[in-house]
Amino acid sequence: MINHLEARVVTKRFGGLIAVDNVSLELRPGEVHGLIGPNGSGKTTLLNLISGYYPVDDGSIHVGGEDVTRQSVQDRARLGLARTFQTPKLVLSLSVLDNAMLGGWPDVGSGFLETAFAAPRARREEANIRERASTMLQGVGLGTVMDRRADLLEHTAQRFLEIARALTMRPKFVLLDEPAGGLTEAEIERLGAIIGVIRDSGIGVLLVEHHTDFVFRTCDRVTALNLGRMIAHGSTTAVRYDPEVIRVYLGA
Amino acid sequence: MKHSHLRPVIIGAFALFAALLPYITGNLYYLHVATVIGVYWVLIATLNLLVGFTGQLSVGHVGLLAIGAYAFCLLAGGQGWNPFLALLTGGAICAAIGLVLGLPSLRLPGFYFAMATLAFGLIVSELALAEQWLTNGSVGMPAPSFPTPFDTPWGFYWLVLGIATLITWMTANLARLMWGRAMVALRDSTVAAASVAVPIYMTKLMVFVFSGFTAGISGGLYATSQSYITPDAFIVNLGIYFFVAIIIGGRGVIIGPFIGAAVLAAIPELVGPLAKYGTFFYGFILLVVVLVLPGGFGELITNVASRLRREPQVSTSIEPDLVLLRTAIRVKP
Repeated sequence: MINHLEARVVTKRFGGLIAVDNVSLELRPGEVHGLIGPNGSGKTTLLNLISGYYPVDDGSIHVGGEDVTRQSVQDRARLGLARTFQTPKLVLSLSVLDNAMLGGWPDVGSGFLETAFAAPRARREEANIRERASTMLQGVGLGTVMDRRADLLEHTAQRFLEIARALTMRPKFVLLDEPAGGLTEAEIERLGAIIGVIRDSGIGVLLVEHHTDFVFRTCDRVTALNLGRMIAHGSTTAVRYDPEVIRVYLGA
Repeated sequence: MKHSHLRPVIIGAFALFAALLPYITGNLYYLHVATVIGVYWVLIATLNLLVGFTGQLSVGHVGLLAIGAYAFCLLAGGQGWNPFLALLTGGAICAAIGLVLGLPSLRLPGFYFAMATLAFGLIVSELALAEQWLTNGSVGMPAPSFPTPFDTPWGFYWLVLGIATLITWMTANLARLMWGRAMVALRDSTVAAASVAVPIYMTKLMVFVFSGFTAGISGGLYATSQSYITPDAFIVNLGIYFFVAIIIGGRGVIIGPFIGAAVLAAIPELVGPLAKYGTFFYGFILLVVVLVLPGGFGELITNVASRLRREPQVSTSIEPDLVLLRTAIRVKP
């Protein structure tokens, strides 16, 4: 579909191991799509295939109708694909605001020399991105720590900072890799509210998560993987009561 | 990146001191040392962007310095070009060489890139000695001086000061605006940098070419500051000293390596009778910095500054502002 993010029958092998085996997934704008499965089922690998960190062995990836299978991580980011990481990947020596501002990089049109001479365009872009990033930080609740170095942030704040950075990219799709990991119940509530706002703004959210209560509460649709294969996909209710999903993952 | 109110005052005071130095000291020798600090700084300021900010460990910049110096002497001396044109041409040649050297080597992982630049430094140093038809070999060649009013020691000092100020300003702009964040991002986490679309290889290449350009400019100025150049002025040790200046200064701080540049230029001159121990002192300072102050003087300055600002380190609970977030996401550019 023209404005969807799609993985079409993608396969990824690591040596003899088939980490992702003919999996298809479709993420629509304005939905939260859950991706669940036991450890080693290929969730993060699939995320890395979609965002371009690994090349696919078979199949194809499409963003908004465009085939991006051969495109770099950067090209896909420019097409509106933003993500967070299971272990937050931040620039720890920079401030929280600087980290969020990095999300504005796709909008930087000023070249190296324009920046060296602080040309009006470079300064204007800087001001715009600073404005947008600081609003996003206030929005996710990090407004009071913007000047702090990122390595002094607590774990939860690092996760929320990654979300703010992703949102500063003004993405069409956001891939969240276990955003609830290490969060308290109250913090998960807030995360859920933020994801709700992202969805309601027309952005597609792919949520990889082990916290199944949270997934079933938050997602519109869910895909379940086991040993690299897709074992169920569909509405949240359907997947939740799918016998195979219960057997391999949820438990009775 | 946050600015303190103290900073403009310190910069202003230092600029005033630097501009008036020829009036403050009548000693031509001190003026010469100050000039050499400025000449080194033209190279080190942008090498810091490459090593400190972008994390590409070049130890071979002495090769670019040498090429800039010989290009300047050959063009302005032998060919009779206008010295300013010759200086810029030397810079352009070094930028082009930076591009040719960077294209293959910046794809290499850190250690191998360092080895590639070391090899480059060694090769240039040997060629300067061997290619007598071009460089006069070990005999060397005289360096032309700049036209009036830059032909006196203080005139040349002010020229170097002007160029160094311009380079510092450009470097600071690059460091504080979006390109600077991109550089630090690809140094600390290529995964994070790629996720926000930072073109990693291109960014490294741009920084390398820019640092090549100023290394060439620095070479021309260096030649004039020494009046005469020979291949043994450009031994590979000097390239390692430049690198060490950045370690002493501390990465990621614009002004930190200035301390390193000052130490580098001043030590062999100021210890006078102990001049043959210059390298020893330099090595000793490096050892102390690495052991006691791994972030260099730059980090010390940053830490003191943040201590003075008394940044609160209290833990805060995260309270999202969903209304604001909704508006911010939906805003169209």
